[in-house]
Amino acid sequence: MKKLFKQSLLPLFLWQCIMMSAQVGQDTNLQVQSTLDIQMAQLPTATTNDWKPGKSRFLLRGYAHAGLEMTEDETSFVWGQLAPLLIFRQSDRLLFEAELEVELEGEDVHLGLEYGNLSYLISSVLTFRAGKILVPFGTFVPNLHPAWINKFPTMPLGAGHDGILPGADIGVELRGAAFLGSVKTNYSFYALNGPQLNDGNLEAAEGGVLHYDITPDNNKNKVIGGRIGFFPMSNSALEVGFSGMYGKVGDQDSRYEDVSAFLYAVDMSYVRNLPGISSVLDIKAQYTGANVEEAEFPEPDEPGEFHSFTNNSQAWFVQASIRPAFVENAFMQNLELAGRYSSLKTPEGAPWEVDQKQWDIGLNYWLDWRTVFKFAYRKISGTAGEHGGEETGLGDAFFIHWAIGF
Amino acid sequence: MKKIPIIVTLFILVITAIFITSCATTNELAAAKSGAQLWGENCLRCHNTPSPETFSDTEWDVAVLHMRVRANLTEDEAVKIAEFLKTAN
Repeated sequence: MKKLFKQSLLPLFLWQCIMMSAQVGQDTNLQVQSTLDIQMAQLPTATTNDWKPGKSRFLLRGYAHAGLEMTEDETSFVWGQLAPLLIFRQSDRLLFEAELEVELEGEDVHLGLEYGNLSYLISSVLTFRAGKILVPFGTFVPNLHPAWINKFPTMPLGAGHDGILPGADIGVELRGAAFLGSVKTNYSFYALNGPQLNDGNLEAAEGGVLHYDITPDNNKNKVIGGRIGFFPMSNSALEVGFSGMYGKVGDQDSRYEDVSAFLYAVDMSYVRNLPGISSVLDIKAQYTGANVEEAEFPEPDEPGEFHSFTNNSQAWFVQASIRPAFVENAFMQNLELAGRYSSLKTPEGAPWEVDQKQWDIGLNYWLDWRTVFKFAYRKISGTAGEHGGEETGLGDAFFIHWAIGF
Repeated sequence: MKKIPIIVTLFILVITAIFITSCATTNELAAAKSGAQLWGENCLRCHNTPSPETFSDTEWDVAVLHMRVRANLTEDEAVKIAEFLKTAN
């Protein structure tokens, strides 16, 4: 009987608990709703149609170019490149950027990652970057290579995917700008995977060449380097920069593992308005040296034999352009005359030895500040080694290109 | 032993960071420059000066932060240029 009494009371007790909990929950909900109503009433009046951007923002930019190229052998319309740049601003201090490159290679479409990195603004004078970056070495690759910025449809000798100038690489970097007294400076210091030395085992004709932008790294060593730029004039018209990069470049556990390379560059930029002729003058120059420690490489024509050479290369260019941007004539103010001279000298005695000079003369017409039609003539002269002479694209050529930045 | 170069590299980067942080962010002459003047001086170094009408205010916030990192602008320069572009667009 006692047991039956307990069994009948237990459900009643549970039912009472549930009802009390529901009542408490209802009271709590009413209190929260009431608090929210008070807070909402205190907010400034706003219409729901107002568009309020958050701190996280995305921006799609980039550039593209294409044109017509006439060489001694052929005349062809060519597709240059589509390079969408994705910029994601995570917050006031955090930024992610990635630039893709879409190119035509025969019938195939090549999709590549030019760079992709995360930037964190540590302080007002220092930013940390990590990921794949354009190596801050000299001025052409990090600043001037995009087609809508480059004054010519071509690159100076030594630049580009097969040149001696570093392009992009993976690692970490500290960069920023500050004043040393009255002189503005900018700087970047980095540790990257670094270039890789071609040992000539697969292609003897390329023994001793430095290759850039290859993953994964071929050794445990990281190259270190940096660039410091100075603005000695108060109007920042002149910038002089000094770059250096050092590290081991040979394959781990190979006869080349201790082979190191030292690359250096001096660059300058001078841009100023010339009120006397209502024009903008723009001069750029860069000298680059790449010194690789001497080593023996397979002889291309004699299997089993090795040869060595002083593995030093140099490349330099100077370019000038003038645009009468402040004349009254609307057509004339969009014209720009540009000229560039560049030189590349690779090691004497190497299978890939070249000693070349290149002239580029161009006339540009700007549709707006980031869209240009380029008419340019290129002339290459000089000598190339037995295997270097196999390189295509040499000779005189005429280009008509358009480039758009967006 | 093989880890020593990486440690030395990181040590050098940290020391460099500390040294740079002690540098001045601006000077009197630079502080007196307007946003329009800085827009002309800095953008034109690599490319034509962008038209303020190109982007909205919120888009300029992204573009200028991107260029602050890319072109190594000082914080003062970036703030003034952004204010100018957002005022003139």
